[in-house]
Order: sequence, then structure tokens, then C-alpha cells
Amino acid sequence: MSHDSHHAPVACKTELAPERSDLGLIRPDRSTGLIDWLTTVDHKKIGILYGAFAMFYFLVGGVEALAIRTQLARPDNDFVTARMYNQLFTMHGTTMIFLGVMPLSAAFFNFLVPLQIGARDVAFPRLNAFSLWTFVFGAFVLNASWFFEFAHLAGWFNSFEWHKALVYTDFAPANGWFSYAPLSGTFGQNGQALRFTGVGTDFWIIGIQVLGIASLAASFNFICTIINMRAKGMTMMRLPVFTWMTLVTAVLIILAFPAITVALIELMFDRAFGANFFNPSSGGQPVLWQHLFWIFGHPEVYILVLPAMGIVSEVLPTFSGKSLFGYPIIVFSGAVIGFLGFAVWSHHMFTTGLGPVPTAAFSLLTMAIAVPTGVKIFNWLGTIWGGRVRFTPPMVLALGFIWMFMCGGFSGVMHSSAPADSQQQDSYFVIAHFHYVLLGGVLLGLMAGLYFWFPKIFGRMPNAPIAYIASGMVILGFNLAFGPMHYLGLAGMPRRTHTYHAGNGWETWNFVATIGAYILGLGVFLAFVNLVWTAFRGKKCSNDPWDGRTLEWSLPSPVPEYNFAQAPIVAARDAYFEDKHGGKRIGTENDGGEAGVHMPSQSWMPLLASAGFLFAGFGMPMMAMGIPHAGWIVISGLGVLFIGIWLWALEGPGGYMLKTPAASGTPAPTETVAH
Amino acid sequence: MSDTAAAHEAPTSTGIDHKKLIMWLFLASDCMFFGTLISTHLLYRKLYPAGFTDAEGHQRFIQNLFNIELTSFSTFILLMSSFLMALAVSAMHKGQIKSFRRNVLGVIFFGLIFLGCQVFEFTHFYHQGLTIQNSVLGSTFYVLTGTHGTHVAIGVLWLILMYFYSFTGKLGGHMGALDVEVAGLYWHFVDIVWIIIFTAVYLVEYLGPNGIWGSGLPAVAK
Repeated sequence: MSHDSHHAPVACKTELAPERSDLGLIRPDRSTGLIDWLTTVDHKKIGILYGAFAMFYFLVGGVEALAIRTQLARPDNDFVTARMYNQLFTMHGTTMIFLGVMPLSAAFFNFLVPLQIGARDVAFPRLNAFSLWTFVFGAFVLNASWFFEFAHLAGWFNSFEWHKALVYTDFAPANGWFSYAPLSGTFGQNGQALRFTGVGTDFWIIGIQVLGIASLAASFNFICTIINMRAKGMTMMRLPVFTWMTLVTAVLIILAFPAITVALIELMFDRAFGANFFNPSSGGQPVLWQHLFWIFGHPEVYILVLPAMGIVSEVLPTFSGKSLFGYPIIVFSGAVIGFLGFAVWSHHMFTTGLGPVPTAAFSLLTMAIAVPTGVKIFNWLGTIWGGRVRFTPPMVLALGFIWMFMCGGFSGVMHSSAPADSQQQDSYFVIAHFHYVLLGGVLLGLMAGLYFWFPKIFGRMPNAPIAYIASGMVILGFNLAFGPMHYLGLAGMPRRTHTYHAGNGWETWNFVATIGAYILGLGVFLAFVNLVWTAFRGKKCSNDPWDGRTLEWSLPSPVPEYNFAQAPIVAARDAYFEDKHGGKRIGTENDGGEAGVHMPSQSWMPLLASAGFLFAGFGMPMMAMGIPHAGWIVISGLGVLFIGIWLWALEGPGGYMLKTPAASGTPAPTETVAH
Repeated sequence: MSDTAAAHEAPTSTGIDHKKLIMWLFLASDCMFFGTLISTHLLYRKLYPAGFTDAEGHQRFIQNLFNIELTSFSTFILLMSSFLMALAVSAMHKGQIKSFRRNVLGVIFFGLIFLGCQVFEFTHFYHQGLTIQNSVLGSTFYVLTGTHGTHVAIGVLWLILMYFYSFTGKLGGHMGALDVEVAGLYWHFVDIVWIIIFTAVYLVEYLGPNGIWGSGLPAVAK
């Protein structure tokens, strides 16, 4: 079909009569400006917002990381205090995982999944907006702990009674991203609930809880979308691999997050109400926290890495000019990784003394998970093999992903051996391992995705020379920062110590790692500046600059709000590529008719309901601080949540008909193909 | 708007309505949620079979605490509420709005009886000396059953809102029946979870003379 047809004018929403809900409230109908961004239900705009917030938090987490590396640059350094150091590594890990990688993956889910399956939106557009704002407010609550911390350090709280009563005044979380009990919990009998840590832990608990709700809501939505909203002919085994990995990730989220939800509830009951779940003085078992945390935490690793694997599986075939080698086995491997991901959590706990049988079993299962991962690597190599490779910025980053992720995988297999792991436990070797997986793997994959799809998202091409320089700096700086940590770890340097003495032989490599970290940080910053500049000022590009393979490249850039003027019918895997270079593989469904495309209405309610979490999230740590009447903030927050959901239900999905170019005069191609 | 309804009846790839599918997904997630809570309780029961020590310092066994007749009664009531919920869903599918209202009122009433029993039970246990603070048993028991009670309370609130909404005349047709059916799925699930809790938390304590966990001294001396 001709793309010129999309340039015909379309009906503006504001030309229609304002829509009223059952309660007589007028629904927002702006298509530009602040109100539009706050009330949008368009998956593409929500995806862009997710991406913008994620990139911001990447920089926040990056600054925290650089502060850590600055402290460790030389022995006996006092750049930050020990307490601040603990807060920095805790917030660095939490921020990067929950506020950086997961939302950036969610940005891709949002933007791409409906386009790749040939749908006009997700199954529940308002729920999608709710997920976004709940994430935003959860992130805000978590990071607000920094403001309390700095206010405390500046002495602003000194005159308050509640502040004098506090025993521990770490306002920012300082337990590590895993918040192991009993450090995060309580001690003392009969409900004394004496705490080891300050309200930072309460900020962490409620922040992660709210972020979990956001992830769960988004995952229900995406599974539903992928299973239920595929275009005609888009069978499961024709889905693009990125969409497949989204599906596996979403299933992992809905099955893994309940464990951390319950663990957080139990920890909250310990801290707030004197319960004994993890309180060792009353018979609670702190090791239970470890189990519950890692039953969530290990699938979480795959929640982080599978979307990046999906991105790489899209980038490599495009720039090799070949179809993905062994599509079914790549999909199957992804699913197997997801499944096995639930059966390996105790490899994080080899040193807790599980006993020989469980240790051996978890050891074996952990080794087994290397098999599907290796299968994927070989399939990616098979994809490049014999291809006409174009070394564009996304391709360079995707190749970097394979290389780095493999390094991380090799040290991962070393950890799966329990005797070796018990030596490496809590050393810098582990830091090196998971940064090779999560940074060398996931971040490079996500950056490849950003450079790959930015032309589709904004219709503008990122500056290639800057992109190459940034990619080079990231890969070089990354290896300089984390390569030496393998050595440091095996030379005995422990994790999570705020400083070390001279004379252990760790000085040189720590200094090198710090230089590497700064190069890496500058590289990521440069890449993000390049991307943000591209979004506003970049050079305009064609709709299909990479010779893409999947349906999103068949659309204009930027993608119109209705996505597909007519629903596509696909007859092959990589249908768009086949359609361009082979026989006819994409038809259109004549579903729009004269009325146009049905679009869901915008809504304030998701934002309102999410705002309830903001109040409740602030109120609960304030209760723990002993601030008077803080309980009412929690109750009012839950009230706002209820009112938001109630009005949401009453206003209904709403909707209006948008005339597409095809429906408003230009003759539409109506032929269909057999499938 | 009429076209809204039309859009929502657009066929899905699987033929399953979005709302029904997302409720099944939520329930799958909720299985893991309750699974974690029940596991926590059972792990600690196995570890500390002896029960708890009350305020006077007396060792208390859980069989002396439970009032199994009362809990059986409330379990029966909850089961019957599921029966009424099925009737309400069926009535809605046939468009019999009055029958729907009658049945849904029954569900709400039975749900409230169940919650009343739970409030009575909590108060009773508290006066017997089991608190959330004085033992691990108290923590796991109250948080597990309390979380289930919260699920029931949310279901009751949902059905009350639905009951009143039915008087606006907007709850009808395929979408209305679907909304009621989705609420029904939730209600049945919460009921099934209670059957599991009733078995795993209450009934197994009566297996054998000393319960399934045995008796004797606590595994870890306080």
C-alpha cells in the first residue's frame, strides 16, 4: 500500500463534541500539550514517557555509581561517609533495576508490541496509563528519601520532637537492593519491634511495593494484548521475537512479583506492627526473607535480560540481511529460560547452609540454564554468519551485547558451582559478573533498541558519528571498569565496604576501574544527549531507514495515533520484509469503513488513582518516623485510590471515531491474501 | 456510546474477552500470592509445632484455640455464597436483572457473615492470648487469614457497587453479563483459596492426637 495516503488530513478530536462521562464530567480531549501527556491513553505516548523517565533515572543511578567509584578510587578515601556509601549502593542498585532497566524495557513493550502484532492499542489503554503513573509515583516516593536524608544532614529537622525520638536517622535506604533481614527487620520480643535501620527501609518497602503494582498491572495488560489482539494471520509462531520475549517477561513478572509483594507485606508488618516474620529474637527466620526475595529476585534477572535479548533478535537479522537463524528454537529457548528461572533462586544462597542435596540440585539447574542461553548465542551467530552485515550504531551495540553477555555468562557458570561460589560470594567477582550481564548485556541491548527504533518513534535519525563514539566509549569504559573487578574479587576484595586499606594490592585496579566508570558514564550521557537532541532536532528520515522486517516499519514515522489505517493481515513471519522483497505477504482488512477508526478516550482517572499511591507511599514512612497525623495521609491516599478507580469504572472506556486518510477519500487497498 | 460497545465486542484472537482473560491472569498471579503466604505459615508450623505462649506464660496448643465448629460454619457460608454467585452470573446471562439482584444480595449477605465470623474469631483469639506480636504463629495466622479477609471485603465492596449500579439500567447486555462474570471469577477464586486455607491451616491441626505437626517442645527454645 502507498504511504502517501497517510499525509491526508485527519479529523481532530477537538472538532468533535466534548464527551461526557456518566457523571457529567467532561473528558480531556487535547492532542497536544501538558494535559494530553497527563491524560493520554495512547500506547506510543505512554512508551515515550516511560522511556524519558527511565533515561532520567539511568542518569540518577549513574551519578550514584560514579560517587561509589570516586570513593573507591584510592585507599582510605573519605569522599563519602560509610553511611552515605551504603545508601549510594542501595539506591544505585534499586534505581538501575526498578527505575532504569525495567521502565526502559516497558517503554519498548509499550511502543512496539501493538505495532508488531498489528493492533491499534493495548487491550486496556487506561490501565496502561495507570501502570505508567504508578511507576512514576513509586519512583518518586523511593527517591524522595534522598530529600529527607539531605534535609536531615542540613539540620532542618532538628527542632522537631519526632526527629529527636529517632534512634536511626538513615532516611535513604541503606540495606542493599535485597534488603536482607534481619538488618532490614526488627529485633526484641513481644512486639517491641526495635529496628536496626531508619525510615529509609520504610521508603524502600513502600516504593518497591508501588513499583510492583505498576509492573503487575502492565504485565496483565501486555499478556492480554499479545494473546488477544494479534492481527489476522499473526499466529503465535509468526510473532516477532521481541514480542515473544515481552510475553515471556510479562508471565515471569506476574508469577514472580507476588513473592516479593508478600515478603514486603511481612517485613512491613514486622517493622510497623511488631510481627515476628523475620524477627530472630522471637523465632522468626531471617533466611525466609532470602528465599522469598530470591524466588522473586532470580526471575527478576530474566525479567531484565529477556527484553534485551528480544531487541537483539530484531536488530541482528535486520543488519545481517538475513532472517533470524532458528526462530522456533530462539523462542523456545526464551521460554525455557523463563521456566528454569523459577528453579534456581537458591544459587544466591549457597553459603546459607542449605544442605548438600538442595545445593547440588540448585547447582545443576543453574548449569542447565546456560544451555538455552548458549543456544540463543549460537543462533545469533548463525544469523550473522554469511550475512551482508551493516555496522550501523544499533548493530555495533547488539554485537557488543553478545560479546559482553557471553563474558557475564561464563562467570555465571563459574558461580553455579557451589564450592567455587562459596569462595566468590560477597567479593568483587560477583560485582563483575552481574554487571557484565546487566550492563554489558542489558544496557547495550537497550541502547541498541533505542538507536534502532528512534527513527520510527520520532521520524528522525540519530547522529551516527556521535553514536559510534558513544558506543565505543560505553564498551571501552565498561570493560575498563568491570574487567579488573574479576581480578579484585579473586584477590579478596569484599563487596559493600566503603573503603579499603593500602597494601592489599587493590589500589591499581580500583583506580583503573574508576577511570573506566567515568568513561562509561560519559559515554552513556553522550548517547542520551544524542538521542534527546534527535527527538527534537534530528535529521528527518524515511519511514523504513533500516530496511526493517517487522510490521512497525510499514507505518509512517512518527506513527499516527491510530497506528494502522486498516488492520493488516499477515501471511508470513517477517511479513513486511517478505512483502518488500518477495511476494505479497501483507493485506489489509477493510474494517474501518466510512466511520473511521475507533479510538479510546483520554482520561484523568488513571493519574488520579495512581496519585493515591503517592500519598499512601509518603504517609507510611512518615508514620514510621513518628510524624503526628501521618496516618491520615495514608488513609487519604487509599481514599484517593478508591475514588480514582470508582470514577474510572463509571466513566467507561469511552471513545470516538477518527477518520483515517484511507476512510476520508483516498481509495483504500482492500485486497486480502490467503493465510 | 454505541460504537464503544461495538468496538468492545470486536472479536479477539482467541475468542476470549479481554476482561475475562485479564482476570484469569490476575488470579494466576494471586495464586502465587496466597501460595507464598500459606507456605510461610506452614513452614513456621513445621518449625514450631507447639503453638504459642499466652500473656500468662502458659503454653497453648492451637487445637485449644480454634473453634472448628464456627470456622466450618463460616466455610459453609462462603461456599454457599459461591453457589449464589453462580446463580447471579447465570441470571445476568439470561438478562434476568431482578434475579441477579436477589442473588447478588445473597452473596453480599453471606460474604458479610463470613467477615463477621472472622472478626469474632480474631477478637476471640486475641483475648485467648494469640496476638500478632507475641509469636510467629500469631504473625503468620493473622496476616494470612487477614489478607484473605481483605480479598473477601474487596469482593463484597465490588458487588455492593455493582448491585447499586444495576439500578442505573446500564448494567446489561453482553458487557454487563461479562462484568458480572468477571466479578464471579474473582469471588469463586477467593472461595477456593479459603477452602485451601481451611484445610491447610485449620483441619490438618486435627489429624492425629497431636495434629499433623506433632507436639512437644519448640524446635528452638525461646
